[in-house]
Amino acid sequence: MSKEAVIQVESLVKKYKDVTAVDGVSFTVNRGEVFSFVGPNGAGKTTTVEILVCLRDVTAGTAKVLGFDVASRKGQQQIRKRVGVLPQDFNTFDLLTVKENLNYYKKMYGKGMDINELIRLVDLEDKAKTLYKNLSGGLKKRLAIAIALVNDPEVVFLDEPTTGLDPKARRDVWDLIEGLRDQQKTVFLTTHYMDEAEVLSDRVVIISYGKIIADGTPSELISQYGGKTTLIVEEGGTEAYNLLQKKFPNSKLENGDVLVPINGKSDLPEAVMTLNGNKAKYAELIVRRPNLEDVFLKLTGKKIVDGELS
Amino acid sequence: MGGALRVWFRSKHTLFWAIAFPILLMLLFGAIFSVNEAPSFSFYVQNQDIINGEPSQFSAMFVGMLNETGVLKVKMVDANVDIAKYIDDEGVELLLLIPEGFQQSCITQNASVVLKTVPPEVDTSAATVRGVVEQIVEIFNTAATGEQPPQIVTVQQESLVSENYRFIDFFVPGLIGMSLMTTGIFGAIGWNTRNRELGILKKLATTPLSKFEWIIGVVLFEMVMCAVSTAVILTVGVLIFNIRVLPNIYSVILIAAGAITFPGIGMVIARFVKETDSADAAANAVAFPMMFLSGSFFPLEMMPEFLREIAKVLPLTYLNNGLRDSMVYGNVSSALYNTAIVLVIGLVFIILGSLITSWREE
Repeated sequence: MSKEAVIQVESLVKKYKDVTAVDGVSFTVNRGEVFSFVGPNGAGKTTTVEILVCLRDVTAGTAKVLGFDVASRKGQQQIRKRVGVLPQDFNTFDLLTVKENLNYYKKMYGKGMDINELIRLVDLEDKAKTLYKNLSGGLKKRLAIAIALVNDPEVVFLDEPTTGLDPKARRDVWDLIEGLRDQQKTVFLTTHYMDEAEVLSDRVVIISYGKIIADGTPSELISQYGGKTTLIVEEGGTEAYNLLQKKFPNSKLENGDVLVPINGKSDLPEAVMTLNGNKAKYAELIVRRPNLEDVFLKLTGKKIVDGELS
Repeated sequence: MGGALRVWFRSKHTLFWAIAFPILLMLLFGAIFSVNEAPSFSFYVQNQDIINGEPSQFSAMFVGMLNETGVLKVKMVDANVDIAKYIDDEGVELLLLIPEGFQQSCITQNASVVLKTVPPEVDTSAATVRGVVEQIVEIFNTAATGEQPPQIVTVQQESLVSENYRFIDFFVPGLIGMSLMTTGIFGAIGWNTRNRELGILKKLATTPLSKFEWIIGVVLFEMVMCAVSTAVILTVGVLIFNIRVLPNIYSVILIAAGAITFPGIGMVIARFVKETDSADAAANAVAFPMMFLSGSFFPLEMMPEFLREIAKVLPLTYLNNGLRDSMVYGNVSSALYNTAIVLVIGLVFIILGSLITSWREE
């Protein structure tokens, strides 16, 4: 199946007075993929989304959504009809029920998904008549995502949909996003959670200080920037380190654990045999594969903790 | 303590109530009640005592004396004019009729002039004017006879309104006007800022809904709220105070016009204030002076000239005047004139609101 670009961004720049929030970014999102825009707070994620959903003007460059230019008035009208948006920090009407809220937004479009079906999709059937203010944080977010889907959009923009949620609620939102992929919806997701991007995305773009620093599938990025798989010999200490160091000179001793880089297929059994053959003492053996956090660390020299660079 | 002070100082809302509001009230009421200059009243006089095409000597003398008081701004009404129609057309509230044969009756010592006002017990200016006219009559009597009574001229008081109204009947239109204003301004501003804070406005801006549709929606909603509060005022008025003034078709049109105007003003203010706190302060800053300067509670004639000038640019003045015209005085043309002004102001604000309201992020 040939790839059809539904979002095309070319040399996009957005300046606020003296601050350049988005600094010449270019990327493409194809139909049916879950695309993640990953970066710390203030990197330019939300600004980019808000340009794509016609909330902000561009300073320079071009952006097209579903073939329509975000800078043209007619283009904006078409885009608004065809995309669904979950803005960051969105809360809907407190004193309307789940169903009433969905009906309210559906009226803006004049067409769209069957509300009962939508409520089933986000698993809020028991809460259909509950007021928004009485929902938990996780359920509020599910309703907000349902609201983003109310017009049966071709592209769904989810701006940090899991920020502030507890782990269980986050997983539920992940399931919802997986469900959208199954329905062939194009999902544009922004997040500062690397694990989220890695689990959910077909493709990831990493943005830092308004510039794109990496673009690819999670596995491409990890194999390119993530470094090697590591065997962690927990509580191996100096004894295990000395044993392993002979065959694996790049091994490291960190806080009593020995970290052994694994290069080829034979490295892992060899390291284990070395340890066990010499009856070395250790607590546990863990194989750690590199992830997107390693990619980010490699590219920027920093980690993202709670959305902030550290 | 230090923290509380800082929070207090940084909150525009509390700053308004603690500092700006008392100052506003003092300035407002200080100005309203410290009238040094004598109040002046628009006073219509129709002299029907015409002899050979000229006002009779006595009637002309009487009018001259009225003119010299300085309190009454005398406006002469031509003797041929149908006075009942004139009162309706011009929204006349104070009128003196010098009947035909005035001079002749003076000679026979049974002359009278007819003072038409709203009942003095409901409008203090009517009482003041009556006092002035009675003094003039006394001076006239003394001048004419050179001695104390027998009086040759007496004042006949007639009410301009056909029904026997009480104060509450005059108060109700002002109350409706005030409530339309507060419902409209506070409602529109509050609804906008609340939804902006919740992110609902941002969400709506990503849908096909246009900002003009949003504004019209808010205004229509506030119109319903205005209708509800008007209905509540009238119901309580009828049930508890047994009021007699009830809206006719003209006042309904006027109420609708007011219900467009004030949310329109609210939408314009909401453009400039983004947080709930400052929105509340801004709404109060506009609504409170308007409430007291537009004749909702005090007649405009009580106020010094500069405040009356301010009242002339306030839409609530025209709404209140129009409501009293239609509900109390039955002055259709004056009511329609006021309706037109309110409607024009309303349309201007709605158009202005939709031009300057920014749907999108800046």
